[in-house]
Amino acid sequence: MNGGVTKRSVGLVAAALAVLVVLPFVVGTYFTMFVTEIMIMGIFALSFNLLFGYTGLLSFGHAAFFGVGGYMAAFLLIHGFPSLPLALLLGTLAAGLAAVVVGYFSVRLDEIYFAILTLGFGMMFYTLVHQWRSVTGGSDGLTGLVLPPLGIGGFQVDVSSPRAFYFIVAFFFIVTILVLSRIVASSFGLILMSIRENKERTAFTGINIRAYRLASFVVSGLFAGIAGGLFAVFDRMASPSMLHWTASAEPVLMTVLGGAHVFFGPVVGAVLFFVIEHVITQFTDIWMIFLGGILIPLVIFFPEGVLGTLLARRRGKRFKGSGGDKA
Amino acid sequence: MSLFFMNFLNGVSLGMLLFLISIGLTIIFGVLGVLNFAHGSLYMLGAYFCFQFVSLSHNFLGALLLAPLFVALIGGVIEGTLLRPVYGRDVSFQLLLTFGVLLVLDDAVRLIWGSGYHIVDPPAFLGGVVRLAGFTYPVYSLFILFIGPMIGLGLWGFFRLTLWGKKIRAASMDREMAAGIGIDVNRLFTGVFMFGAWLAGVGGTLAAPLRAIGPSMGEKIIIESFIVVVIGGLGSFPGAFLGAMILGLINAYGAQYLPKATMALPYILLAIILLTKPRGLLSKES
Amino acid sequence: MKGKRIVGKSLVMGIFFAVALVLTLGGVAQAKRPIRIGSVYIMSGFAATYGKFAKNGLNLAVQEINKAGGVLGRPFKVTFEDSRAKPPVALRAFRKLVYEKKVDALIGLDSSGVALSVVPVLKELKTPLIITHAATPDVTGKKCNKYAFRVSANLSQNVQVAARIAAKTGAKKWTTIGPDYAFGHQTWEYFQKYLKKLNPNATFMTTTAFPKIATEDYTPYITTIMNAKPDGVIISLWSGDLINFVRQANKLGFFKAKFKVLMTLGAATEVLYALKNQMPTGIWVGTRYWFLANNSPVNKKFIKAYKRKYHVYPSYNAQNAYAAAYVLKAAIEKAGKVDKEAIVKALEGLTVEVPVGKITIRAGDHQALLDVSWGKTAADPKYPIRILKPIVTFKGAEITPKVSETGCKR
Repeated sequence: MNGGVTKRSVGLVAAALAVLVVLPFVVGTYFTMFVTEIMIMGIFALSFNLLFGYTGLLSFGHAAFFGVGGYMAAFLLIHGFPSLPLALLLGTLAAGLAAVVVGYFSVRLDEIYFAILTLGFGMMFYTLVHQWRSVTGGSDGLTGLVLPPLGIGGFQVDVSSPRAFYFIVAFFFIVTILVLSRIVASSFGLILMSIRENKERTAFTGINIRAYRLASFVVSGLFAGIAGGLFAVFDRMASPSMLHWTASAEPVLMTVLGGAHVFFGPVVGAVLFFVIEHVITQFTDIWMIFLGGILIPLVIFFPEGVLGTLLARRRGKRFKGSGGDKA
Repeated sequence: MSLFFMNFLNGVSLGMLLFLISIGLTIIFGVLGVLNFAHGSLYMLGAYFCFQFVSLSHNFLGALLLAPLFVALIGGVIEGTLLRPVYGRDVSFQLLLTFGVLLVLDDAVRLIWGSGYHIVDPPAFLGGVVRLAGFTYPVYSLFILFIGPMIGLGLWGFFRLTLWGKKIRAASMDREMAAGIGIDVNRLFTGVFMFGAWLAGVGGTLAAPLRAIGPSMGEKIIIESFIVVVIGGLGSFPGAFLGAMILGLINAYGAQYLPKATMALPYILLAIILLTKPRGLLSKES
Repeated sequence: MKGKRIVGKSLVMGIFFAVALVLTLGGVAQAKRPIRIGSVYIMSGFAATYGKFAKNGLNLAVQEINKAGGVLGRPFKVTFEDSRAKPPVALRAFRKLVYEKKVDALIGLDSSGVALSVVPVLKELKTPLIITHAATPDVTGKKCNKYAFRVSANLSQNVQVAARIAAKTGAKKWTTIGPDYAFGHQTWEYFQKYLKKLNPNATFMTTTAFPKIATEDYTPYITTIMNAKPDGVIISLWSGDLINFVRQANKLGFFKAKFKVLMTLGAATEVLYALKNQMPTGIWVGTRYWFLANNSPVNKKFIKAYKRKYHVYPSYNAQNAYAAAYVLKAAIEKAGKVDKEAIVKALEGLTVEVPVGKITIRAGDHQALLDVSWGKTAADPKYPIRILKPIVTFKGAEITPKVSETGCKR
């Protein structure tokens, strides 16, 4: 299990970067938006996986931070806040603050108890947003955001243009990847992983488990908040469905599908999820039975997630090959 | 005062149904270590099978006998073909897998029975009402109040007194040891999963005369069942009973005293219990 | 040698014919390129029955229209998408339909929350949307916009009728049981506002019941409301929730109690079909289309065709979607071309006869003025479900607030 970014993957990343830049100029408007949404969900899933894959905590309430980020940004923009980046930043901070509170209580628990407790907190946030009609718009949410133009070096960029927003999201997507991959490769990340592997032993070395877990929880919440803010801007709305437990399930599904123990697993999972859904809904509206029918074998035959298992298989082959050379 | 009493009955009878659904979930978790997301869908299947049998034969008691057996059979197929490869993997894989099962079952039900709603009538001798504290009260709800503890007692006896029950309890405490003393763990697991599915089926069948039977009715119940088994103590039998009663009563009294907060109450309760008793109220470990 | 030449000849001939065929077909296709409609409803989950009905109604209308030669000689072609009752999913579907499927017009939407989030984005999608179900007054009120139209009765129209009936019952002290989201709360707010005007003596209780959507057990709410001893109760639960509620309320003697009961969506056929004779009689119920409310040939033809095809009487969601196709047809014919801006213009002020009656889309707020019928539930051996007897019908102009009062400014 290697959390960091290796040299080989740097080349891959460069290629991916090139594709990312060229893409909106070759595909149509819808696919530009399709990829935009995948990147947003990719940020969300990556943020979730810092907690799940690297710290060993399965959060089932992560949509709370996604939602808080989204609602904060939407609330500001709907009331005529003039700056998009600042709205996103404040959304992110609000999500981080929510994560401090929820994390403070939640990180004492482990495993399934942690999962259910975060689910409970997540649903409290959902209820709050759903019931507080005067501020959050209740079940209707905050809709019809008007986006202020973004000033970049003297240019005024119209954010509502799908291509412009694609690049904004791509920027955050890359920043998220850079920051999170740095974090997991740092000594902080190593401690998180050792907590995941063996909590007791790590505690013996004098490390404050709770503090590290909380830190991981908050960082994870911050990035979920970024994703939520971008999502609200992308959809011109914040709706309670962003905070429902079914929304918390999405990054879980994507991460497990792609592979929790490889850095890009959640991104691959997000891509797979969207592509599978897109293809299925193309020819049927009884999509659930097909989605389920595809998920089940994927889970059974890819024990480390799709990317995780493929990488492990290649690595296994290489080891076998080198073993043969020696003989 | 009479309203307080009525809502006590309402809460307890809701609790009984939650209990029937949740014990299957908690037994499966206790023995197999699997958190079954599709458990609510098995409950839904129970209700649909009940509807099917009743509309064919007009015999509710026959349906009560048959529908859960069919659910158990489907449970057996799910366990044997799908769950077996993922034992021992992280709980998230089991959630994802059983989520896939949930999706398939939800749509299968829609394809077979359509997307509309169906209702089932209770048998004539349970269909009436009695007068209680100034209200009319359905006999069928009293029947639920009666049959819930009966099934609970039956299960208690089964686990305490029969060989199979003891085997299951042994396996739920220590799987390796159980295998060591010659218990066929594979067969036991299939049996336990079918048993849990059967209980979900019983819950669905008993709920059928009270509920509108429609697509995705299992998704509503699954989160409540998770809450019940976790606040009671995962794998704990009396815990599931206690958790179900608490949730049922909270629902009933919440509607009466705190109508604006009913949506949040179960989650607030969940958080308070987990933060004070991290393994649930009646867990085996603490 | 000779064989080869024959082969070569037939090859050339073959290519020639193939090319000719492609050209003619292409030409035909060019002339008959279908008019594309994108349609978004709830197709899965607990409210999937709405999507099913809308799909039935829309498909029936499109079949009829295409059989009769289409619109401007071109057939309609519908692409359906599932909103899953979630605003982000619905918006994704809309973007896909407009940007990828290049649809000419949109028809759809069940949930008010979905409608409110999608309607503002129509300004970017620049495509007309005909709403057939979502009832929030705001999409033709303070959130109205150029591209959003509605051919179904909205919440305020329906509740206005409820208030008139409530005023006639003479009941004074009112309360409500409704779903705990905007729809349930707005129904109660509008009801108070309208009834207060009609009957200044009416009072509104603080004991109300707002169970969350998809509540399984209504008994605590039912007993609590019964215990509060109101004179009248307005119920805005719908579909599966209403079915659950009615069955549990029956057993608790709710409908035998002294108070009057009004159900704003009690005459939805999916509810009546599920409940059959368990629907109590003598209860005032509303709907957004009642199939026996008028005897027009258009309505009779619709009921007959619908019943033949789907073996049940049409629900309001089926009629509304069916009507939307005919409204779109009329608009395109009025515009004389398939052009989004022209369709928008043509829709404004358009009057079309559909099964529910003659409807006129107001130019000011894009809300249709249409007849709204309520009635008392009654048994009739000729029908497998409860029907309405008597039926009261209110004219659209009578029950719809003036455009200036809707908050719609464009």
